[in-house]
Amino acid sequence: MKGKVAIVGYGRTPYSRAKPGEYIYTVDEYLAWAADLALQKAGMSKNDFDGQGLAVTHAESAHTVNWAPAVAENLGLSPKAILRGDQGGATAAALFIRASALIAEGVVDRFLVVGADTPLTIPSIAPGLPLSPERTRGIYWDFQGPFGVMGATAQFGLVQQRYMHENDISLKDLAKVGVTTRYHASLNPQAIYRTPYTEEEYVNSRVLSDPMRLFDCVPMVNGGLAYILTSAETAKSICDKPVYLKGFGEMNNYYSGSKVFPDITATGFRVSGPAAFEMADVAPADVDVFLPYDDFPVVVVMQLEDYGFCPRGEGGRFVRESDLTYKGDFPMSTDGGQLSGGQPGGAIGGFMPIVEAATQLRGEGGERQVADATIAVASGFGGITYGRNARSSISLVLGSEG
Amino acid sequence: MPAITDLTQPFWNAARDGKLVMQKCDNCGTVNFPAKPWCVSCGSRDLEWAEMKLTGTVYSFTISRSVAMNYPDWEAELPIVLCLVDVDDGARMYAQLTDCDPEKMEIGMRVQAHFERISEDAGIPKFRPETA
Repeated sequence: MKGKVAIVGYGRTPYSRAKPGEYIYTVDEYLAWAADLALQKAGMSKNDFDGQGLAVTHAESAHTVNWAPAVAENLGLSPKAILRGDQGGATAAALFIRASALIAEGVVDRFLVVGADTPLTIPSIAPGLPLSPERTRGIYWDFQGPFGVMGATAQFGLVQQRYMHENDISLKDLAKVGVTTRYHASLNPQAIYRTPYTEEEYVNSRVLSDPMRLFDCVPMVNGGLAYILTSAETAKSICDKPVYLKGFGEMNNYYSGSKVFPDITATGFRVSGPAAFEMADVAPADVDVFLPYDDFPVVVVMQLEDYGFCPRGEGGRFVRESDLTYKGDFPMSTDGGQLSGGQPGGAIGGFMPIVEAATQLRGEGGERQVADATIAVASGFGGITYGRNARSSISLVLGSEG
Repeated sequence: MPAITDLTQPFWNAARDGKLVMQKCDNCGTVNFPAKPWCVSCGSRDLEWAEMKLTGTVYSFTISRSVAMNYPDWEAELPIVLCLVDVDDGARMYAQLTDCDPEKMEIGMRVQAHFERISEDAGIPKFRPETA
């Protein structure tokens, strides 16, 4: 599939914190808005997708069981192929792979891939968190809440505690990830939080679930994103700057060591990262810009190791010694990530690394443009297993050449 | 309150009676936790609830200083020390650690289980530092 599919358009709506007095857009409006932005960027129209592909990410505010077909109905599209993903923050990347396979096989020529959510304005068992009551049933919840698990900050607080116990990393190193991301957000008008902060302010921010702090957490927002894939042939004829899929890798429900007493600091990127590089015939050193899935700074550091950007156990040192800014030796999270950009619901943030990769490779990064960027890596990371790490890890290698 | 199903009832009843049980695979001996529909190692559906030891080791911990999810009742107990405990000859589980100064928490701490009644049919296991 290498070089057979390309991104020809993308869109990211403005995000909302649903402040009093604001017009509250519905999830359907965000889907249409994101799709519209992507279509405009691509110079295409919605009718180009009748008889083609539509892919939709699951959302907490999905109001119909058959979500993806319902979205087709709401958008007035009649696709030949519909895809729906439910791998949390890895969904946007998962849909990329599935849609690309259908395009490469000639089942369809193109896919409109969309996702939106309004976590701030739906009934939730914890206001401000995307946890709709209908989805929080079963053994997974019954064996966590009553036992003292307070949410994702506690679940990943456990991961970070163990990671810091085993590796040479300090809060200052993690702070640098947040500080750099916020610096990039200050250069990106689309980011939600744009005021730079210092490492000290990160360390002193309110402790939620030790060692997890307020500044470790993504701000929850309402919003939507989309990207458009076509065959390489179509891309060459309609798009002046296609962004090609060069390689991908995926791992789900990864166990490191035994299944009963696994290593919770190991992510599935240990499998998906090298697989994507091998398919793309690209080495970590060839990457011009890295767009990790940044739900927490410690998760970013684990990706640096698991992809092989640095040796295992040296994530802290790599962060200390690298210039992670857009003009540095290892540009990362150049859009401000989800940490400062906002996360539009648990699954939709997964679009952001893909959209920023396309932005950078097309030279549309504005003030935060990485010079001569031709190869980008985007991560998808989603779901949280009981007592371990994420459920899904997906790696995409994208390039301005096939 | 957890939902008690036919599958999980043995766990909650045992905890009410001061016992920690986990499913053990009849085919390969793997301990599965939390309750699984088949053995996550070999796929056998012959999982039997078996009594576990009441001691373990802290694999990791976190100290929650604020409440999230749907558990406002925890507010009064903050800070909550939440651990992942490796139960001796058992499996890893989330559990609250009681009777310990949060500042003294350490990975590798040896702990022992105790139980609290949460309803007519259910108890819940918690841990405290092992007394010498």
